[in-house]
Amino acid sequence: MKRVNYFLLLIICLTAISAAVMQSCKTKSTQTGTQTSASFQFKEKLSDYNFFRNRLKDLDPNPGVVHYEISTTLFSDYAVKDRYVVLPKGTVAKYTAEGPLDFPDSTFIIKNFAYTNTAHQKIMIETRILFKSPVDKTWKVMAYLWNKEQTDAVKHITGAQLPITLLDDEGNKISTNYLVPNTNDCKRCHIKNDIIAPIGPKARNLNLILPGQTENQLAQWTANGLLTGTPALDSVQQLPNWKDKAHFSLDQRARAYLDVNCAHCHTKGGDATNTGLFLEYEQTGRDHIGIMKEPVSAGNGAGGLNYDIIPGDAAHSILAYRMNSSTPGTAMPEMARTIIHQEGVRLIKEWINQMPPEKK
Amino acid sequence: MRKTFSFAALALIMAVLLFACKGDKEKKLDYTTSLSFKPGDEAKIVEAFLSLKDSTSILFAQGIYKFENLSAAQLKHILIQGEGFDKTILDFSSQTTGGEGIRITNIKDFSIDGMTIRDSKGDLIKINNSRDVKVTNLHAVWKNADSTSGGYAIYPVMCKNVLVENCYVEGSSDAGIYVGQTDSAIVRNCKGAKNVAGCEIENTTNAEVYNNEFYNNTAGFLVFDLPGLSQRGGHVKVHDNNFHDNNNRNFAKAGSFGTSWGVGNAPPGSGVVILAASNIEIYNNRIINNNTAPVILASGFAVDEKAAEKINDHYFPISKNISIHGNTIEMGSTFPEPTKEHHIGKLLVAAESKLNALDPARKNKRIPFIMYDGFSTNILNGGKAINPDSLCINQPGDNVFVNADFLNIANPGKWHPETNIAPFICK
Repeated sequence: MKRVNYFLLLIICLTAISAAVMQSCKTKSTQTGTQTSASFQFKEKLSDYNFFRNRLKDLDPNPGVVHYEISTTLFSDYAVKDRYVVLPKGTVAKYTAEGPLDFPDSTFIIKNFAYTNTAHQKIMIETRILFKSPVDKTWKVMAYLWNKEQTDAVKHITGAQLPITLLDDEGNKISTNYLVPNTNDCKRCHIKNDIIAPIGPKARNLNLILPGQTENQLAQWTANGLLTGTPALDSVQQLPNWKDKAHFSLDQRARAYLDVNCAHCHTKGGDATNTGLFLEYEQTGRDHIGIMKEPVSAGNGAGGLNYDIIPGDAAHSILAYRMNSSTPGTAMPEMARTIIHQEGVRLIKEWINQMPPEKK
Repeated sequence: MRKTFSFAALALIMAVLLFACKGDKEKKLDYTTSLSFKPGDEAKIVEAFLSLKDSTSILFAQGIYKFENLSAAQLKHILIQGEGFDKTILDFSSQTTGGEGIRITNIKDFSIDGMTIRDSKGDLIKINNSRDVKVTNLHAVWKNADSTSGGYAIYPVMCKNVLVENCYVEGSSDAGIYVGQTDSAIVRNCKGAKNVAGCEIENTTNAEVYNNEFYNNTAGFLVFDLPGLSQRGGHVKVHDNNFHDNNNRNFAKAGSFGTSWGVGNAPPGSGVVILAASNIEIYNNRIINNNTAPVILASGFAVDEKAAEKINDHYFPISKNISIHGNTIEMGSTFPEPTKEHHIGKLLVAAESKLNALDPARKNKRIPFIMYDGFSTNILNGGKAINPDSLCINQPGDNVFVNADFLNIANPGKWHPETNIAPFICK
């Protein structure tokens, strides 16, 4: 009798335990995919946002959608870029002396990428959107890919390679596979200290008078109620325009170019923190700028050269070597560039070559 | 008695049941979301990686997958699971863009287990700025061991708490397993062959490297500190490893014999290289048939005459507090051919000749097992201490140590390599 009792007990226990275990397995697997309901969702199509009126590809902004420009721009395969910012009604961005302006929640930053085809037409490729989510106060990224008909752009997270033939700034024909970044690629450049942030709209980059206008862009933003806290303009830093030889020295132009093209990663807290090569416009450490600095983990990307910059010797400087390559693993920047920016390479070579050689 | 038996049975069955939920195949159930894929699903996989939520496991069923690259960023608790290195293969040979095969950024609690990843243009797996990282049962290989390979096969950098276990690395043009600027790392039970360096620990603190086998590389194992980085390394224990037959040419640079920075400085035939590192203990290892230098103990001055200008909180060029004891060391009878073409290798070949010329009693002895470049802190502060950097060597034999006097190596009249080990014997 006793034996039977134990056996029964065992069976009961086992059944209960199995049920519990099965249940716990089940609970876990049914939770799949239910955790995002409260968070922000990007819309399916660019047109859904109603940023632009009339024909979408003309990017004719609706009221409240503000076109802006920056003094020196990132090279991305000679893409033609248009930039807009949209602040929620009644809100204002706060001036910051360093880093991007302090934008309010629910701000959109919109950047459109197009190329000039051989018939000199502007062909839309992609539109990238940064949105500052009010849910968790962090920036979110999304890319929209324009359709063949050029009537709209559709949400696209996986990136793409698009064969195109474009005209460069001098009208030369170049065929390439334009790379649309995936959403993790976006983060590579936009993350600083583990936080996604805008790169372009810093006060020092916006501190310029747009072509055909008379008033400074920052002053316009302030006058239009978009920006508050801006000090007197002569005390606001200005990032040089790398093409403007009339107003800026070679050193200023080269450093501005490196800032915009490299320093989103090559900065402390950026994706290339581990390299110790920091190329912000404000950087003063010779070693961090790359002068007689040995690479850390460049591998064959360094092309067998020994220093990032050898003053007076661009031909043996890794910085110029990697800018002058389009081979994956060597080419810098790693992203958003499949062809060589000849004008940029010329600038950096000239800058390195005019540096006085190191004393032995 | 019977009662005990019943309870034992109960316990056993409970254990089996729990195991059924947590066991090998079902490890994914520790994760809120479990995704599983098969070959042919590549497009879906790429998309899934871009939409990952915290606490997700991704199972790759056996077969060969072709990718440009995969990336995951800003997440918690992620597992990439294969069905074994010989069953699940991720192939990156058709890459046209980007560097790494797999790129992991800022993930807390990241694991990858049980697969082969191969033939990317850049590094095979780079894990940047992450915590609690486990890389296990992973083979990371390039089919050609030459300068077309990427730099690092397994590359955790700027991480905290890293385990690399039961992995195999082959063909890297820099280091097979490279742990950089990391705090707390374990590399164990791994193997590596045909890399420039089998394994490298760089600017990393609190690392332990044991029970590994690195062979047929240019150099078996390196522990380096480089200047200008986010942190200084140190407190690295290296024990019970087998570093053998590392005599291959240094292919760290295309078409030539090595760059003069980083791993390019490792001469073919190196077992262990310690460079500008501090608080390092090397013990109970088998260091066999590394025919140029079983152990190189060097300073930043050996590779950079301006090393002193780079001293700061994060860098000190002279190796300090180095303990080398109880290792089994053997060497072959001649230098490997490629070392005679290498910029540091040549110096060692010259050092052996010089020693044998200075002391005819040596006859044709090999260069001693431990090659010290001779740069001590005395050269920085004009001191006279006989062992200012607390080197401690306890190795049997009579041809154990040489101070190769690199300071004067370019000046044949003054150059005087010295084999007196007495100041450096562990107290």
